[in-house]
Amino acid sequence: MSYFGIDRFFDFLKTVKATGGVRSALYKLYRMDSLRPGVLVGCDKYGNKYYENRHYFLGRDRWIEYAPHYALEYDGSQVPAEWFGWLHHRTDLPPEKDCSRPKYKWMSDHTENLSGTPGQYMPYSTTTPKIHAWVPPKAPPQDEDDENKKKECK
Amino acid sequence: MFRLTITKALNGAKVSPKPIFIAARLQSGEVKKPEKIEVFIDDQPVLVEPGTTVLQAAALIGVEIPRFCYHERLAVAGNCRMCLVEVEKSPKPVAACAMPVMKGWRIKTNSEMTKKAREGIMEFLLVNHPLDCPICDQGGECDLQDQSMAFGSDRSRFTDIDFSGKRAVEDKDIGPLVKTIMTRCIHCTRCIRFASEIAGVDDLGTTGRGNDMQVGTYVEKLFMSELSGNVIDLCPVGALTSKPYSFTARPWEIRKIDSIDVLDAVGSNIIVSTRTGEVMRIVPRVNEEINEEWLADKSRFSYDGLKRQRLVTPMIRDNTGELKPVDWEIALLTVAKVIKNAGSNIGAIAGGFADAEALIALKDLLNRLGSEALCTEHTFPLDGSGTDLRSNYLLNNKIANAEEADLVLLVGTNPRFEAPLLNSRLRKAWVHNELEVASIGPKVDLRYSYEHLGDNPNLLQQIAGGQHAFSKKLKAAKKPLVIVGAESLERPDGAAILSAAQSIAAQASSSKDWKVLNVLHKVASQVAALDIGYAPGVDKIREINPKVLFLLGADENAVEKSDLPKDCFVIYQGHHGDRGAAMADAVLPGAAYTEKQATYVNTEGRAQETLPAVTPPGRAREDWKIIRALSEILGAKLPYDNLNDIRDRLDEVAPHLTRYGSAEDANFFRQAQELAKKAKVQLDSTPLDVKIKELQDYFMTDSISRASPTMAKCVQAALKHRQSKYSD
Repeated sequence: MSYFGIDRFFDFLKTVKATGGVRSALYKLYRMDSLRPGVLVGCDKYGNKYYENRHYFLGRDRWIEYAPHYALEYDGSQVPAEWFGWLHHRTDLPPEKDCSRPKYKWMSDHTENLSGTPGQYMPYSTTTPKIHAWVPPKAPPQDEDDENKKKECK
Repeated sequence: MFRLTITKALNGAKVSPKPIFIAARLQSGEVKKPEKIEVFIDDQPVLVEPGTTVLQAAALIGVEIPRFCYHERLAVAGNCRMCLVEVEKSPKPVAACAMPVMKGWRIKTNSEMTKKAREGIMEFLLVNHPLDCPICDQGGECDLQDQSMAFGSDRSRFTDIDFSGKRAVEDKDIGPLVKTIMTRCIHCTRCIRFASEIAGVDDLGTTGRGNDMQVGTYVEKLFMSELSGNVIDLCPVGALTSKPYSFTARPWEIRKIDSIDVLDAVGSNIIVSTRTGEVMRIVPRVNEEINEEWLADKSRFSYDGLKRQRLVTPMIRDNTGELKPVDWEIALLTVAKVIKNAGSNIGAIAGGFADAEALIALKDLLNRLGSEALCTEHTFPLDGSGTDLRSNYLLNNKIANAEEADLVLLVGTNPRFEAPLLNSRLRKAWVHNELEVASIGPKVDLRYSYEHLGDNPNLLQQIAGGQHAFSKKLKAAKKPLVIVGAESLERPDGAAILSAAQSIAAQASSSKDWKVLNVLHKVASQVAALDIGYAPGVDKIREINPKVLFLLGADENAVEKSDLPKDCFVIYQGHHGDRGAAMADAVLPGAAYTEKQATYVNTEGRAQETLPAVTPPGRAREDWKIIRALSEILGAKLPYDNLNDIRDRLDEVAPHLTRYGSAEDANFFRQAQELAKKAKVQLDSTPLDVKIKELQDYFMTDSISRASPTMAKCVQAALKHRQSKYSD
C-alpha cells in the first residue's frame, strides 16, 4: 500500500475526518494554508490549541491553532509566554506539567501586539509646543434654570 | 546727573560733542561756521570742525578706534580707556573719545605705544572679568570678546589658578526684562548714561570706587522705564542681557529679518531674529528718521505674545453656540453663503494691526458687493475737511524734526507711552536744545519737566484767541510744535479740538517747511486706513444695522454684540483670539506682522514694509490672500493674484503707500483750517484725558501684548514698583 502511496491518501482522509468533515477542512486550509494531522497537547485560556506531530521534521512538528474568534486576524504575538517555550522546543513540557514555571499573583496577563489597532502605543512630543492655539471660550449656559440645576447637583 | 556733558561743561555749553548732527543742524545758517582744522590720523590728513574728538576725526576717514564706554548717542564718559591712542609729542597716550583735536596733531592709531596701551587695558579688564563666555548670552556679539581678539595680548599673565582673587558682584533684580550678571560688568557706565540722559530715569548709578565699584540702583529697586530694553543693546559685555531671551539662542544660529514694528504708530525699524521657525527676539534697526537705534519695551519684548492665543485654524460657531474648528473650504463656503444672503448690507471694521494690503482688498471686496460701510476702530472727527486732507491726521513735522523744536504744546496726549520714541526725541531736545514743553491734558510723568496748563479743552480756545499767557510764548517761538493726541480727537468734540489746534498752529510764526500741527496716532494701521479711504469710527456700523460684520483684527470692542441686530453674523479675521474672535460667528486665521510681507504707514505718513520672518502658524494665511480667496467664492473676484498686483492697486489708490521708507508731505493747512471753522461742534468742558497714564497701563494695550506673558510680568513688576518705598 505504501508503495503506491495509497496510505497517504488514507491518512489524508483520516485528517479530514479528524478536522470535522470536508467543509471545516477546507476552511482550515483557507485559514491556515495547511492541513496537518496532530495530537492535541493542550489549550490556553485564550482558546488557542496546541498540536504536536513528531512525524514532521523539527520546526514543523509543533503548531498552534488560533482560537476561532481570531478568524484571519491571528499573529504570533497571540501566543502566551507559557506556551511559547513549548512551541519553540525550548522545553518539552507543556505549561501545566512544568513545575519550574514560576507563578505569582502579580504577574500580568498576556497582551498581544496592539500595533495597527486603536489600542496601539502612540509616542507623543514632550517638548512645549511652539504655538499655543486659542481655545474659544465655552458657550454660556442657555438659561438660568440650567445653572440652578448645576448648583443643585453640586 | 549727566545733563551737562564733560566737554559741554568745558566749552561753556557751546559745542556738544555727542549728537554732532544736532549741533550741525542748529549751526547751519544761524551761526557762522568756524574754520576747519587739519589733523593727521596715521599720516592721513583730515579737515574737521573744532571741538571734534580724536575718535570722531578718525571715524571720518574710516579708522575705527576700539572703545567700550564711548557711544555716539550718549555723553562722553572716558572711563574705559580702551580708546587710548598716541599723539605725537605727547608723553602719554590720550583717550580718543574725550579729547578734542588740536590743529596739526599727528595721531597714531597703530603705533607701538597705542598697541601696548590697548593690551594693557584689555589685560586689566580681563583680570576681573569671568571666563564664562560659553554660558554667556552675549557670547558671539560681545564687544569684549571681539576686542580682546583684535586688540588684546596674545598671552596672559593671569596666574590666579587657585581661584582666590577674581572680583565677584551680587546680581541685581532690576525688573522682568533686563537680566543682570554684574560680575561681568566692566563699568563702562553706558547703562547709567542711557538711563539718565535718554530714558530720564535716574535710577542707575555707581557705588564704591576702584576695584569695589559697582553699577546698580543702590537700593533694591526696579529699573522701570518704557525704554529699559535698550540698555541690553548698549551693554558691551554680558552684564545686562535680555531676560526673556536668556539661554534660548546664539547669535550665529539665528536668522535676521529686517522688519517694522507695529505695536505703536511710530513704525520703529526692527530686526526679527528667528530660529527653527520661531521668533527668538526682536532688536532695533538703526533708522535716524524714526527710532535712531532705540526701541520701546513693548515692541521689543511682546514677541512671546505672537506664540500664544493664536488662531491657527478657521472656526465656525455651531448650533450649540461654540466655535468649532473647520477647514478652509467649509469656512470660506459658509462665510460666502452668509455674505451672499446679506447682499450689500455688510459692514467692516479694521483694527490696529491691519496692513494696507488687507485694508485695500477688504475695501475693494465690500465696494464690489455694494457696501461703503468700512470703518476703522479709532474715531477721528469728520467735520470740516475731516480725513480728506492728509495734513489733518499726520504727524506732519516728522519724528526726527521734533528734536529741533523749541516749544511743544501737547494736547490730550501722553507721548511717553503712546509713542515712547517720539518722547525720547522730545526729551533729547529738552536736554540739548532747551526745549520748553507745555501740556493740556491729565498730569502725567513724561520724564522731563513741562508746564501743565490744565486739562480743560477750553484752554485751547483761549490760547487760540490770544488770551492765555502761553500764546505769547507761542508767538515768540521759532520752531513750535502742537502735538494732538488721537485720543483727544475721539471725543465727541474732537472736531472742535482739532479746529482749535489748527488755529493755534496757524498763529504760530514758523518757516515754510516747519509744520506746527501734528497728530499722534496710537495704532499702526490708522494712517494707512485713512489714506485708503476708510471712515474713522464705527458710528456708520451702528446706523446701518448690518447683517454681516467683518472684523479685520478689530479687538477693542468698538462695536459690541449688543450694538448689532440679533441675526448679525460676525466674521473675525486676525491672528489672535481676543475680544474680536470671542464675539465672532466665523473666525478666519490671518498672519501677524512677523509672518507677512505687508505695508504699514506710521503716524508721520511714512510707508514701510514688514518682511516675513516665520510662516503663519497652522492653517493661518496672509490676510489679503484670505480676502482674495473669499472674493472668488463670492463671485466678485478681485483683480490681483500676487503681491505685485495688489501693490499696483495700492499705488493706484495712493501712490505714497508703495514708496517705502519715504514720508510724503501733506499740505493745505490753511484750507483745512478754513474748512474746520464750518464745523458746528462746540468745545466740551469735560477734562481731556488719556487712557495710558502710568507705566503699568503701557504694557498691555493690544491683542499681541495682551497675549504676552512677559508683558504680564511687566505689569506686575510696575505695580509692585509702585508699592515699593523707593518708587518716586
